[in-house]
Amino acid sequence: MIVAHDLGKTFVGVPGQPKRKVVAVQSVSFNAADGRITGLLGPNGAGKSTTLRMLATLVTPDSGSAHIDGHSVTDNVLTVRQHLGFMPHNAGIYPRLTTRENIRYYAYLCGLDRKTTAARVDELVQLLEMEKFADRRTAGFSQGQKTKVALARALVHRPQTILLDEPTNGLDVMATRGLRKIIRQLANDGHCIVFSSHIMQEVAALCDEIAIISDGNIAMTGTLDTLLDITGKSSLEDAFVTAIGGEV
Amino acid sequence: MSTLVVLWKEILDNLRDRQTVFYALLFGPVLLPLLIGGGLVASLKQATVSFEHPAPLAVRHADRAPNLMSFLHANNFDIENAPSDIEGSVRNSDVALVLEIPDEFSEALRRAQPAPLIVYVNDGDKHSAKEARKLNAVLNAYSQTINALRMQHRGIDPSIFNSIEVRLEDVSSDGFRGQILASILPFLLIVAMVMGGFYLAIDTTAGERERQSLEPLLSLPIARYKLVLGKFLAVLFFVGISSILTAISLYLVFQLLSPEAAGGILSFDAQTITKAWLLASPLVFFISAVLMTVAATTRSTKEAQTYLGLLMVFPMAPFFILQFINIKSAGLTMSLPMLSQYQLLEQIVLKDQINPVYVALSVTGTLACAALLYLLAVRLYSREKVL
Repeated sequence: MIVAHDLGKTFVGVPGQPKRKVVAVQSVSFNAADGRITGLLGPNGAGKSTTLRMLATLVTPDSGSAHIDGHSVTDNVLTVRQHLGFMPHNAGIYPRLTTRENIRYYAYLCGLDRKTTAARVDELVQLLEMEKFADRRTAGFSQGQKTKVALARALVHRPQTILLDEPTNGLDVMATRGLRKIIRQLANDGHCIVFSSHIMQEVAALCDEIAIISDGNIAMTGTLDTLLDITGKSSLEDAFVTAIGGEV
Repeated sequence: MSTLVVLWKEILDNLRDRQTVFYALLFGPVLLPLLIGGGLVASLKQATVSFEHPAPLAVRHADRAPNLMSFLHANNFDIENAPSDIEGSVRNSDVALVLEIPDEFSEALRRAQPAPLIVYVNDGDKHSAKEARKLNAVLNAYSQTINALRMQHRGIDPSIFNSIEVRLEDVSSDGFRGQILASILPFLLIVAMVMGGFYLAIDTTAGERERQSLEPLLSLPIARYKLVLGKFLAVLFFVGISSILTAISLYLVFQLLSPEAAGGILSFDAQTITKAWLLASPLVFFISAVLMTVAATTRSTKEAQTYLGLLMVFPMAPFFILQFINIKSAGLTMSLPMLSQYQLLEQIVLKDQINPVYVALSVTGTLACAALLYLLAVRLYSREKVL
């Protein structure tokens, strides 16, 4: 479960202008419940990744607070990380290691013992249908295969809360559908899932709750129906444009 | 525990990387000692004249000078018959030298006139030139023996012609040649260490960032210092292995170096090399820490390669500085990493007395610098900018 309240983050320095301040996130508040898929929907540069990074304890918020399963992301960093599985928007897997070795590395780092790890890796290989490439080095994998390995890695320590940063980026239709099925399954198993995307159909098809983020602020939150009701539109795309203050 | 996991993964990962393996296990430890050490040894051997080993000498008309022949034989020349085409065979290096005894040789000797001898030499051939120097020295000795006998025969003390006797006393442990040979050991050891950890350090820091595997890694429930320690130990492992392999291959290369080639004052036996490696071993920590820290500040592997490439000048700097400037061993220079090891290793190879205080200073100074750099690396990894 995630409770984020008034999160803000300003970065100092951009390439070429070391003193310039960039407000990445101004004020983000939203809740994400267990057993539900919460979509963080926003255009490029809206602050989705920075929000997820703050929740994943990679970046410390300048203002506001966030709690993962009741633990503060600023005070209980290691506990939060135990509860959290984070998949950034690039798979970031090790090309010279095999699928199993990639997953095993994270399992051991999370403190799982040998026996548990072996069983868990087998379980994930089966769950994500990775049997065909489980023992191959990941160099040259397709984007879909890479995403599966990265997802398996993020899930290896059975985290209650799962953060996925644009997981369907670069996936083809079949891979996307497969991934959606897995995400839905994880939510049905009681996990809290936060999912960032800029693709409307993606969010509309999958998310129970939607938080629209624009210019570092949450513009609107609710279920798909609520958002359509509030904006009086018939599609998520129109509702989104209205919510971020554009003309439909 | 998690530190060991990181260590194990980095070693496994990088053993599968051809570049890392080539530089860590082949370039520094095998190729460099062979090319630089071996080249040096070979050139020294070539330039060194050995009077101890018998060498063949082609002589035309040996029968005209039997006394000279027995003198040459006593001085380790095995007399052979000269080939018919003297000039051609010397030019083609079929024989190194030919000594020709002209017809008038014995007659001139008998009448106490300068007796001619002709030596055919090919100055373009190093072996021929070397043999000519040796023959010249032996012929000079023969000439002086005859001079002395003649003067004594006429009742003159031969030493009357030696108005000045210059005695050169070299007070250094060894001459310039020994100095270069001695500094080649720390030089090669240090270069091998840097090369050994070079690609691994880049791969585990800047490489990880570039592959975007750092972000998920840092979101795992593991303290940053443990993570950095694991990576540091992996670099340390490769740097250590490189230095040990280099020590072994240097030992093998210098086994080829006969003691007389180095003036008999250098020592490159197993004990010396072991001692030298032990004295240099704190550098394994220091160099690993330098590589890690510098690579951690960079944003991409390309940037890391540029900075670390520039850094490669540092291990070479003391080598050149010590060639041109005589630095007196003192407390300060002896606590500096690299500079102190250069001096200590040179002293070991030159069989000088080693001051234990200097050893202590060198070890503590180097390890302290390594610790500071390691702490800096941990700090760098704790920044948000590391992503």
